[in-house]
Amino acid sequence: MLFALVVANLKMLVRDRMALFWALAFPLIFVVIFGLFRLDEPPTTTIAVVDNAQDALSQALLSGLGAVKTLKLEPYPDEAQAHKALADGKVRFALLIPAGLAQSPNHPPLTLLYDRSRVSAPVILGVVQRFVDEMNLQMAGVPRLLTLRAEPVQSRQLGYFDFLLPGLVGMAVMQFSIIGMAVVMASYREQKILKRLLTTPLSVRTFFTARVVASLVLALVQAGIILAVGDTLFNAHIRYGSLGYAVPLILLGNIVFLHLGFVAGAFSRSVNAASGLGNAIAMPMMFFSGVFFETSSLPKVLAVASQYLPLTPLLDALRGVLLEGKPFWAYPGELGILGAWVVISGALAVRFFRFQ
Amino acid sequence: MATEPAILVEGLVKRYGSVVAVDDVSFTVAQGEIVGILGPNGAGKTTLLETTEGLLTPDAGRTLVLGVDTHRNPQKVKERIGVQLQASAYFEHLTLKEILTLFGRFYKRRLPPMELLKMVGLEEKANTTVAKLSGGQKQRFTIAATLVNDPEVVFLDEPTTGLDPQARRSLWDFIQQIHRQGRTVVLTTHYMEEAQYLCQRVAIMDRGKIVALDTPANLIRRLEQPFVVKLACPRPLPLEALGQLAGVQGQVEHRNGTYLLRSADGTATLRDLLAWAEAHAVPLEHLEVTTATLEDVFLALTGRQLRD
Repeated sequence: MLFALVVANLKMLVRDRMALFWALAFPLIFVVIFGLFRLDEPPTTTIAVVDNAQDALSQALLSGLGAVKTLKLEPYPDEAQAHKALADGKVRFALLIPAGLAQSPNHPPLTLLYDRSRVSAPVILGVVQRFVDEMNLQMAGVPRLLTLRAEPVQSRQLGYFDFLLPGLVGMAVMQFSIIGMAVVMASYREQKILKRLLTTPLSVRTFFTARVVASLVLALVQAGIILAVGDTLFNAHIRYGSLGYAVPLILLGNIVFLHLGFVAGAFSRSVNAASGLGNAIAMPMMFFSGVFFETSSLPKVLAVASQYLPLTPLLDALRGVLLEGKPFWAYPGELGILGAWVVISGALAVRFFRFQ
Repeated sequence: MATEPAILVEGLVKRYGSVVAVDDVSFTVAQGEIVGILGPNGAGKTTLLETTEGLLTPDAGRTLVLGVDTHRNPQKVKERIGVQLQASAYFEHLTLKEILTLFGRFYKRRLPPMELLKMVGLEEKANTTVAKLSGGQKQRFTIAATLVNDPEVVFLDEPTTGLDPQARRSLWDFIQQIHRQGRTVVLTTHYMEEAQYLCQRVAIMDRGKIVALDTPANLIRRLEQPFVVKLACPRPLPLEALGQLAGVQGQVEHRNGTYLLRSADGTATLRDLLAWAEAHAVPLEHLEVTTATLEDVFLALTGRQLRD
């Protein structure tokens, strides 16, 4: 009887277009968008340059700036044309080098014109400023005492997309389970399907066990598809040897989310209300649990609080397993929080369940 | 076992807060009977049915189905009954055949899905979903679904509400067919024609109580005025004169040139009416004597119309 019910539930889940949207289309849209726009490779910025000095010093400055990978220098014959290019939006920055730059002692100042609305403006200003400072030091003959050597410590170069992909897996599993379960519970109650089942010898426990088993199976399929798309289309750096370690994590998280969806469904009077309430539970986690960025970049209080949401430990452990190849038991703290959530959300689900 | 009543309800009370939905109701239904519970909306019909099925817990009294206490041994009862709820739906993403197969799995005893669909003439719709059925087809499917476990007792809660007359007729045939298969059928309705047409016995229910339970013929016979004389005349007639005819009791009703007399003795009233019409040279355009209906029974027992 349980097997037949699991199969029936799988059929229903796969045939429900709304559920499939949340399960696959929604997360895959993110995968494709972030896969196409590689955010960790900064775009190049063009700077219009008017060199009225044409001396050794200006040459040194420009060759230094030209060596910066993300900057592209475009020479302009005079200031008027540079201003026009800036006004027309052809360039966002213009560097004006006055004549007689090298004439000591009163060097005329360099001018950097920029579009204030540009997000990248402070970065570019910083880069140019650094070069100017460097040249100042060299010209003053100050000895360099401190140097910085930057060295990447990861053995493999992991980019933002790699960070994002496990996040999207967690998000997809969460949304599908919370919203899907809430909507199904509300609609079964609204359409009196639960009551109809109550007239048969089927036990309530069997009915919900079947639903949970079907959801768990689909969550694994869902995770597999998202990882496969991220890998084949956009070359994510997933450690396939560790996929097995991700399974218990996904199952554990999914149980919590199903419980939460169940509670949301119990509190909703209609299908629409259930969908709204499910979203209200899932959305904050999507933003505060580190799907798109590390929780450490949140304000302190939120960062600490977010550690206790169920999605945060799931994502932390999932990233460790999928990206660094660690076993899931390397995350006892995360597993503890998830385990606590299983118990709490399960108790809530039992407490608030009602048939009619 | 065959002499055991299909349903035995004893001193049943069900309250919702301060509202008494079922107020000390007792009755029995024999095996193989088809019984209707007739009453207006809010009379307590659904509550009575659902308490008997074991969906609701009674505040007092007990209900036995085929000799088994519904509330002490609900699983055993559920195996042997088929329940159609008022306006309940089925899984929207499964086909008719899949739904019947799934529901069959819940029972020890089951009928093949295609046989059930054939019984209600829906075998061609086996692979479609419920959403694609018409109102009448949906209702037929709902009732077919109550038969998946080949039940001995079938409960139908307002099976034809909301259907057009043609669909209602076809459903009546189907319900009679279920009854002829040897099953006990209990149904609720607020259509007196339905109760009169389908049911061997009818329970009249009002405000939580069963005020009468008998065959439709007996219920009507017990009326003080079991006859209705209907006549039409192109010119206005004096109501007092009609009211004084032999056997006529109560108010004479007059609507659009048609007069309605309630009579304790149809033959006497008819004889007297003809004599009076001849004496006063009254041209009668239309004249009929009928027996009263369950509508009249309801009115006489409760002082209210079945449908307001």
